[in-house]
Amino acid sequence: MTPTLESLAPCWQGLIPATLYTCSRDGVPNAAYLSHVEYVDERHVALSFQFFNKSRRNVAENPQALVRVIDPDSSQCWALRLSLVRSETSGPVFERMDLRIEAIASYTGVKGIFKLLAADIYEVQAIEPVADDVGGVFEAGGEARPGAADARFTMRALQDMTERVNGAACLDVLLDSILAGLEEIFGFRHAMLLVPAEEPGVLVTIASRGYGDTGVGAEARLGEGIVGLVAEARKPIRISGLLRAMLYAHAVATRAQQSGMAPPPRIPLPGLASPASQLGVPLMVRGELVGVLCIESEEPYRFHEEDKASIELLGSYLAIAIQNMQLQERAEADVPVAAVGPAAPAAPPSPVTARPREIVYYEGDELVMVDGEYLIRSLPARILWKLLAIRTRDGRAEFTNRELRLDKSLNLPELKDNLESRLLLLRRRLEQKTPDIRLVPRARGRFALDLGCEVRLRTLP
Amino acid sequence: MVGRELAAFLIEGHSSHIASRNERLEPNAARVTALTVDDDGHHVVAYVPSVSADPVLADLRANGQAAIVVTRPTDDRGCQVKGVFVDARAAGPEDQSLVRAQWDHFLDVLEMVGLPRAATESWIVWPCIAIRIRVQALFDQTPGPGAGAPLS
Repeated sequence: MTPTLESLAPCWQGLIPATLYTCSRDGVPNAAYLSHVEYVDERHVALSFQFFNKSRRNVAENPQALVRVIDPDSSQCWALRLSLVRSETSGPVFERMDLRIEAIASYTGVKGIFKLLAADIYEVQAIEPVADDVGGVFEAGGEARPGAADARFTMRALQDMTERVNGAACLDVLLDSILAGLEEIFGFRHAMLLVPAEEPGVLVTIASRGYGDTGVGAEARLGEGIVGLVAEARKPIRISGLLRAMLYAHAVATRAQQSGMAPPPRIPLPGLASPASQLGVPLMVRGELVGVLCIESEEPYRFHEEDKASIELLGSYLAIAIQNMQLQERAEADVPVAAVGPAAPAAPPSPVTARPREIVYYEGDELVMVDGEYLIRSLPARILWKLLAIRTRDGRAEFTNRELRLDKSLNLPELKDNLESRLLLLRRRLEQKTPDIRLVPRARGRFALDLGCEVRLRTLP
Repeated sequence: MVGRELAAFLIEGHSSHIASRNERLEPNAARVTALTVDDDGHHVVAYVPSVSADPVLADLRANGQAAIVVTRPTDDRGCQVKGVFVDARAAGPEDQSLVRAQWDHFLDVLEMVGLPRAATESWIVWPCIAIRIRVQALFDQTPGPGAGAPLS
């Protein structure tokens, strides 16, 4: 079978670096490793141009090039005979490549240094199997060798996921059902969901699964890491050879430091310490970003192209489900308390601790520290402080979402205040950090602040 | 000339390829499974699997121009050797343990960066052609701002 560029789709993941061979006008060959090879169409590929180097000078003089790419599914190496057509510094191909390189750069602290200068578009004149790096399956598009990850998005699996999502009665359960479903139905064990925070350009982790620390409350800024880039571009990002790519970028960072080009401080990697594959999907409803779903794996080539397309589709469904639940909870919470059904049975009280908790609210930064440790900031911090103040001053333990929504001192946004999401975030953060201070749901739009310890409140500027 | 420290790096067993070009200035290439450096530092020998050596050998015999790139996958330290073809011979049993040792080291390193041995076991390593190159220039190939600078 004659291979086509389409049949070589797994080669474009960069799991195994490609090599580029060029020749100067005066006949001196050159060999170099290459960061990215991107499929453009059935006759063209794009090579990443990141540094002015000999390869770039050679193709400017002599457009003929050879690139070797390896199919990570079959291990077969393919040689592509190329001819440079043009360089692009904008447009969909450039943006796609740039996004992936930016994601890697942000993890290794070399944004601005490890960057795409241009996407060099080459016409592919021939595709030949390489005789030394021969695969277990010789023909492109053949079956993957055993052990390669399977796409698991069958109709049945999607149906199971839908049932779980439809069965969730509240946002709390819905988010956990989504993450549990991703693991139990699709086999994705490490995932996190982030929603837009009150502060523009910031996303905050509201649920996660498969990590030692839930990371609830952890923030990601637009453009930082895979989550921030997905949120900024509002496009899915899949990175398969992350470990290799990060080593490559790390080499650039080291050289940059040696050259006196001090990179910004390294941004801590969220989730797994060393993810080998990541998939980030924007959760969009009618152009609005409802959240970002990020899935990680320790397997180098966990997410296939089919996975990206399927989970993007699933993401659209999840986005609608999350937004609908937020709107439903808000509508129900706005009903006066007297109209709400009976309260839920009281939850077991918080574990009582002998040691009093010192809780400090920093007004300037709008953040709460408990016993000297950071707890939460922004709107959830203002809410907690309000609840604690009422509880210690008046002894009242039960509250409603409605009264919080009407409380001008909390300064909630006029539209889409996402109060229910913020309360959920606060509740989960308290469960994680201070289990003796709890928010206990009592009914729709009603909850109790349960204290299992004495609290000492202090306000600082 | 290849200095002692660089020679030690080249023969550790890394990812390596040899490039040549034909009369139409089209590049050809093959994987290098092992390298040796002569004591004088002026010559290197690249071991290339016989199955893929023909196009490169034809070019080298016609015009002599060669480039060998070596990169260590764990940190991307890289180097490029530019030189001219001297001769080629079929690698013999005396070479096999050296080739196997460098190749094994390379596969160990690939495993460390996420590529299991099962993925590379089908790659052909032996028999090899030993291609001798006279070194003319050395270049730093570690990615980043200094890539491409001559190595003294």
